[in-house]
Amino acid sequence: MLIKNCQPCDPNFKGDKKAELCDIRIDNGIISAIEKCGKLVIKDSETVFDGENLWLLPGFIDLHTHLRDLGQSAKEDVATGTLAAASGGYTTVVAMANTVPPIDNAAIFTKLLQIIKEKALIEVLPIACVTQNMAGSELTEMAILSQLGAVAFSDDGLPLSNLAVMRRALEQSKALGSLIVSHPEDKDLSGAGTMNESVYATAKGLAGVTTASEAACIAREIEVVRVTGAALHFAHVSASASIKLIERAKADGLPVTCDTTPHHLTLTDSEIPGYDANFKMNPPLRSKHDQDALVQALKSGVIDAIATDHAPHTMAEKEKGFNGAPCGVIGLETAFALCLERLAGESLPATERLSLLEVVRKFTTAPARILGITEPNLKVGAAANLSLFDPADHWCYNARKATSKSENSPFNGRMIKGRTVLTLWGGKVAYQHEPATSRWLAIEGLALK
Amino acid sequence: MLTKNNSPVSKLVETLDGLAEAQAWRERRHLLDTRPLSLDEITVCLALANYYKHNQFHKKPPQTILSATTVATLFYENSTRTRTSFDLAARKLGATVVNLDVNTSSAAKGESLEDTALNLWAMGVNAIVMRHSQSGAPVDLASAVGDKIHVINAGDGWHAHPSQGLLDLYTILESLGELPSFAASGSSGKIEKRLCENTLKGKKIAIVGDITHSRVARSNLWLLKKLGAEVHMAGPPALVPETFADPEMGAVVHHRLEAAIKNANFIICLRLQLERQAQGLIAGLDEYRKQYRLDHDRIRLAASSVRILHPGPINRGVEITDALAEDPIISCILTQVENGILSRMAVLTLLLNHQNSYQLNLPNLTQAAL
Repeated sequence: MLIKNCQPCDPNFKGDKKAELCDIRIDNGIISAIEKCGKLVIKDSETVFDGENLWLLPGFIDLHTHLRDLGQSAKEDVATGTLAAASGGYTTVVAMANTVPPIDNAAIFTKLLQIIKEKALIEVLPIACVTQNMAGSELTEMAILSQLGAVAFSDDGLPLSNLAVMRRALEQSKALGSLIVSHPEDKDLSGAGTMNESVYATAKGLAGVTTASEAACIAREIEVVRVTGAALHFAHVSASASIKLIERAKADGLPVTCDTTPHHLTLTDSEIPGYDANFKMNPPLRSKHDQDALVQALKSGVIDAIATDHAPHTMAEKEKGFNGAPCGVIGLETAFALCLERLAGESLPATERLSLLEVVRKFTTAPARILGITEPNLKVGAAANLSLFDPADHWCYNARKATSKSENSPFNGRMIKGRTVLTLWGGKVAYQHEPATSRWLAIEGLALK
Repeated sequence: MLTKNNSPVSKLVETLDGLAEAQAWRERRHLLDTRPLSLDEITVCLALANYYKHNQFHKKPPQTILSATTVATLFYENSTRTRTSFDLAARKLGATVVNLDVNTSSAAKGESLEDTALNLWAMGVNAIVMRHSQSGAPVDLASAVGDKIHVINAGDGWHAHPSQGLLDLYTILESLGELPSFAASGSSGKIEKRLCENTLKGKKIAIVGDITHSRVARSNLWLLKKLGAEVHMAGPPALVPETFADPEMGAVVHHRLEAAIKNANFIICLRLQLERQAQGLIAGLDEYRKQYRLDHDRIRLAASSVRILHPGPINRGVEITDALAEDPIISCILTQVENGILSRMAVLTLLLNHQNSYQLNLPNLTQAAL
């Protein structure tokens, strides 16, 4: 396959100027050539895609996806979840382990691998639970799970409240060369809270979640990292106070990393319309002050990556009122375009803005580094996990008509700048945006134009 | 005889149709919260309640103003006062009232609120007066089926209790002689005395007790601030969050009773839910009594003309002493209950009157034809 005339966005590109337009050839799922535009001659029986005015991006990696399936396939399954990911330019997702049943033993892990093999459109890297039944006391057989392919360990929404268990888990994961992913939250401090503790919660008559709930947990766990030296990743960091703690831990040389989400970067607690549960997630949307701190921390590198925490729920579940509805929103489809506009767009002063490639790194090389997997790049010999992105497309996101099985997005109806038009995983089409079909110039040598 | 009784009020209500202030209520369709109410809307509501009280309509045989209207009360949380008050208010206006017992109705079988409302609508119910333990439940219901049925919030979680806010405001303004009113002719429907942003300027109003969990405190606050009052709040830290002092809410927050009630013109005393102790939000009832219970001795700090309000039900001896709750001059508690019916009659009239304005005229047409 040959993709002609596209703008490469290589996270490893060092120059100040824009890279030159290129043609890229894919053979057997591998990038076999990448040259200046017009240099590659179309071969007989080659499939050709017109990449004019499109950006060529390495496939994104999502550190935090809830693919559901198993007992919760009404919300999402591996097929729809990976399609949603591909439609947002992702070619790898890390699947969270808090499914029903949870991924806490070798048998269920093996079953999950089988489902992934049958249904996944892109790479799925499963996480396994830290503790059995996510009960927070007895560790899972981490060594066996790691050998089977668990990319990391996490009980996600049920944080380990017992630090002795956390210590044992960190020691074991260090011995395995693996990683623990922490959902930093002190459940007692969160209490019955459903949105950020603020005047907006007070006015709506909703119980608040203090930022201390997140920061206090991070502070405790950093000290366990200090004594174990084991890698710990903090998921979906939302508060300014948390950033300060992680910044200091990193300055101390501790192996901690963190991510934040597109919704925490683009929405605040003041923007929740009425009691719309599509704006309910954990951690909750925070204040503008917190959001500004997240943006700065992305720029400075304190926040390593952006992860979606894509959390599908059915309409029926989300219509149970703000208190009654489950936490979580979908995000794979909209993540990159929203973050690009927020972080590299003109709403930020030039000095605070991220460059296009800085944003791309938060979706590609940074998550790869955290997971210890091959860093995506656009070089000859790399896997052809790629997407083509149309930066000029201005479109209205309709969650109902989109690719995920669920539609619980706070961005439904929002005008979005830029969209993924084609995603390739291992050189094969995982997703293509309907209008992009006209860009196929030839299929296996048969000229279409 | 009944027709004669009804004629002046019917006339007033008919002329309401032409009033911009009443038009705003019709466009609103629902009463969900006091926050979005304009000064004009509050004015016309309280003027109408004033008119009803002046004519003692709550003590007379039912009127025919809402005779073609059916109102359902749907209470997912216990209530005696509010439910009875709405029930009587609707009946005194001539409406048909159905009281749904939620424990034995389909809600107990898991029917959604929206489906319940649609079924009621299909049966000809025009308005739902609902109470729910979840903040926002009536807001969600109004956005789902609000084009078909009027939703009147009779209290949702910690969020709002707008009819209580209006009746408390009525009681305060009545005590100050500042109630809005229609022109003396009574039936002309012209508002003579209006509320403005300075109506309560210089008045200090203290709200004491469990503010965190109080929909009454919130609904009072929005109205009182709108009329220029200075609102102070007092209670233990866990029950009076600092967020109430944010400019967005505009109250002055205290954790000592004395500072809040000093020179206060009105004190609104809230019920202390006894389970707050088990939740660890207060150390104990004795400590609460010692710090926050209102009695004759303590309120000497307040203005000499101070009046006490309480939305009920009272925990006698906990948040207020028997003697103070029963003080015939200082306590407005039973006046509030009476004003509750009148305020709710006004709300129901303003929201539902247009439903059957053409039906209202029917008897006259028939008579003319005869």
